[in-house]
Amino acid sequence: MNAGPALEVRGLSIKFGDFTAVDDVSFSVKRGEIFGFLGANGAGKTTTIRMLCGLLLPTSGSATVGGLDFSDGGKGIKGKVGYMSQKFTLYNDLTVGENLDFAAGLRKLSPAYALRRRRELFDLIAFDSPLSTMVSSLPGGVKQELSLAAAMLHDPEIVFLDEPTAGVSPASRARFWALIRKVTELGKTVIVTTHYMDEAEQCGRIALMRTGKLIALGSPAELKGAAFPGPMVELDFNGPAPAAALGGLGKAAGLLELSPHGMRWHAAFRDRPAMEAALAALPPGASRAVIEPSLEDVFIRLVEGAER
Amino acid sequence: MKRTLLAFIRKEFAQALRDPRMKLILFVMPMIQMTVFGLALSSEIKNIKLASVYAPSDAAARRLAQRFTASGWFLPVAAEGLAPEDLVVSGAADAALVFPAGGFARQAARGRGGVQLLVDGTSVTRARSVEAYARAIFAAHAAAEAGLPVSAAPFGFDVRIIYNPEMESPVFMVPGVMGMIVCLVTIILTSMSLTRERELGTFETIVSAPLENYEILLGKTLPYIVLGLANAALVIAAGFFIFGVPVRGDLWRLFSAALAFVITTVSVGTLISTVSKNQQQAMLGGFIFLFPAVLMSGIMYPVENMPALLKPVVYANPLYYFTTLLRNILLKGGDHAVFVFNMSALAAMAVAAGAAAYGRFRQTLN
Amino acid sequence: MTGFDLHRAAAVARKEVMHILRDPFTLALVLGLPVVLVVFFGFAIDFDVKNLALGVYDRDNTRHSRQLVSVFESSGYFLPGAVDSPAAAARGLDSGRYSAALLVEPGFGRGLGGGGRARVQFIVDGTDNSKAQAVLGYLPGLTGAALRKFGAAVPADPVPLKTRFMYNPELNSRWFVIPGLAVIIIGLLSILMTALTVAREWENGSMELLLSTPLRPAEIIAGKIAPYVGLILAGVFFVNLVARFGFGVPFRGSHLLFLGGTVLFALASLSQGIVISVVTRQQQLAMQLSMISGLLPSLLLSGFIFPVESMPVFFRYFTMILSPRWFMEIARGVTIRGAGAADLALPLAALAALCALLLAAAFKKFKTDLEP
Repeated sequence: MNAGPALEVRGLSIKFGDFTAVDDVSFSVKRGEIFGFLGANGAGKTTTIRMLCGLLLPTSGSATVGGLDFSDGGKGIKGKVGYMSQKFTLYNDLTVGENLDFAAGLRKLSPAYALRRRRELFDLIAFDSPLSTMVSSLPGGVKQELSLAAAMLHDPEIVFLDEPTAGVSPASRARFWALIRKVTELGKTVIVTTHYMDEAEQCGRIALMRTGKLIALGSPAELKGAAFPGPMVELDFNGPAPAAALGGLGKAAGLLELSPHGMRWHAAFRDRPAMEAALAALPPGASRAVIEPSLEDVFIRLVEGAER
Repeated sequence: MKRTLLAFIRKEFAQALRDPRMKLILFVMPMIQMTVFGLALSSEIKNIKLASVYAPSDAAARRLAQRFTASGWFLPVAAEGLAPEDLVVSGAADAALVFPAGGFARQAARGRGGVQLLVDGTSVTRARSVEAYARAIFAAHAAAEAGLPVSAAPFGFDVRIIYNPEMESPVFMVPGVMGMIVCLVTIILTSMSLTRERELGTFETIVSAPLENYEILLGKTLPYIVLGLANAALVIAAGFFIFGVPVRGDLWRLFSAALAFVITTVSVGTLISTVSKNQQQAMLGGFIFLFPAVLMSGIMYPVENMPALLKPVVYANPLYYFTTLLRNILLKGGDHAVFVFNMSALAAMAVAAGAAAYGRFRQTLN
Repeated sequence: MTGFDLHRAAAVARKEVMHILRDPFTLALVLGLPVVLVVFFGFAIDFDVKNLALGVYDRDNTRHSRQLVSVFESSGYFLPGAVDSPAAAARGLDSGRYSAALLVEPGFGRGLGGGGRARVQFIVDGTDNSKAQAVLGYLPGLTGAALRKFGAAVPADPVPLKTRFMYNPELNSRWFVIPGLAVIIIGLLSILMTALTVAREWENGSMELLLSTPLRPAEIIAGKIAPYVGLILAGVFFVNLVARFGFGVPFRGSHLLFLGGTVLFALASLSQGIVISVVTRQQQLAMQLSMISGLLPSLLLSGFIFPVESMPVFFRYFTMILSPRWFMEIARGVTIRGAGAADLALPLAALAALCALLLAAAFKKFKTDLEP
């Protein structure tokens, strides 16, 4: 196995007519990493992933996926990767067995090999219903696990998951993420897109996308450090925040970000002295606590902040 | 390649045949359609509602009117109390035979006052037939009244109808209806199949595998060629066993004709599927193909008289060639030149539609 | 349980109108396709069987036999072509080159000249119903024409028969075809429209959204159907313009009566589409059912081309469940014959009954879906 990066992307762009869906994106992914794409709808996450799976050809830029590039129209890459799309990729009107047989046929796997892989993957996802179960009768979480198994039937080096946990229960989401970690323990590289901040926290590194551009890249801790070099305070006014207090805080020197979180407010400052000065001006009734910024704060600052 | 195709065939069959409603539509409906259309349809004009208007005392007129009823083409309707025109306007009668008021025999003897036949001209074929029947009955009646045998005319035709001497309607209709049913089933199945995968998202799974375009297209069409052939075999067997439609030609010719036709319609359906953005468009595309195909096939009316400008549509209609082939092979025993010509036309269309579908097909998304 | 609320139905209708307006494809289709198809098939469908290839084998080759062939030629119905043997004529029939063959044996002319009786063989290809019937219909006229040509003593008709073709004195087949075509196209499009819009809502799950609101089934159905009734009436209007001014088809009856019939027919067809989509809930099945219950029966069993009166008794009753069969009578009756409401009482009542039945079925199917 060659030791190069699983993914190497340089200046990748794609245009649909006049619309630039992905704009000059560069990054690389190490083998065995869980690499997450975070961004709003339409930020270009799905399009980037589809390009890297060989489903769309880039307008410009280059990429190597598992050591292969687009020179053959994506055919080679398709063989190296597994892809689980956002939409449900199994056929509801077929049984579990029929779906997996079809996936094996698409990949031209020999029956013996497909059988062995199926057993391994059923162990991995702990699937024990009969093969003759109709997919339509399975719960959402199990369907997603089964989709993952179908996408991994040909033992790909890299697995792309496009919003794999959209619309499943929180318990199933946790189960699915445990599964993703197991997959990387097998030496696979996992690229995943998500809307959920708690899921993004579990990624090794995250690429933040906005309107087709990659605006930040790093581990969750790095992203937080870069976005918020100073401290962050959570303010609780025990009720609706007084407009005067918020107005004053908003104008405070050294304030980086002020955003509502339910009934509470998060305020980030350039440094400690700036924070202390601003807090001193607040009415005494408000409780305040220095907190670690979450990825949600990072997201609000980098993605939504840039839109203001 | 072989594995992929087999996987596609298994998958499409499983999907098409699991749903009991689909099975019903694929295998039971064609039989019902064959039976209904085979038995019901006839282009012969009969049961014409005829009102005869004459004075109650006019025995000569009554004799002639009875001859109309006895011919089997006409059904007498009561004419009392209404003007003959009104009988036709109201639709109570399709035609009215109006005898002269002064008594049929008397007026005829004087060589005056003919009989008027009022015919509803709404349906042109019907109106023509009514007139032709009436003239024949008049001639026969005149000959009979004069005591002459009908065949006394110095000249006549010995008419022989070949291939279907009894003029049985099913023998006429069944080969045409067979073609329509096979056409309908294959177009419906294929015109939506790729569009459906796109709409449901499963298309992404298929194209995420390293497959060539032709592998996917073959995979999505081959199962339907097999299903279409099964359907064709079913309707031909039904024609043979239920309606006694003869199979006078070689079975291999019949099979090749069905194969060529099914490949053509499956290709057309796939082409519709590749150009449609959603299933609704695919369905309308299917309708826009099927409607002219059925109407311009020569099954319902002769297409030879079409204006030259519209003739190309007939020549581009696969159902026209298939109907010609079916009639020729089933009823006439299969003429080699006809077979070769129509097969070549179907093959050319299959290639054209297949190439267009191949050219339109994209593995990429959006 | 609340009653029918017009405002809520109107809300559903507004949403449907927005859908239609945002989809110019459908709009163009419903308004444009009927006109295009009526124009196209108005030209294409012609029941006149003319210029039929006739194989002529004339072994007699006398003045009389040549006169006979010229009778065929000048009739306009046939294009005679000489063949050298009866076998060649048979081959021509086999290959479909000839639709009929005329075989004149030697002695024909002598027989006629000698005052005897002369016969010729006339062979008709019995595989094509549309042609064979027509050819047989031409023969009596041709016999008479031949007799006159031979100068034979034609037995004069003792009583002249004068035929008057009412409504369509020149027997223009377009007058028959175009109203019929309009019926079929309008009916089919109506079924397709609702069958797919509702099935699509099922497939996309947006129907569950509609059902989760306090809307009553009747309100949903009314809201879904109403915009399409309007669209179809507009389509019918354009078709009638083309029929009248493009093809010169007369419109002799009451416009109001025609409008009433059209609304009933549109409602019946749209309801049929809704029943199909509720039963199938899947677009592909919905399309199949629409085509099977729509396309072939309305083309073949409605009396459009194949006369209902010629069907066996059972099928004459069977066609009564088809709404296009009734509207066909109404459309042709009102436009060509100028028939009034009293004349068309039966078809109108039957269409109204079918319409009520289909609406009730759509309503009931919907209701059972609401209460699983």
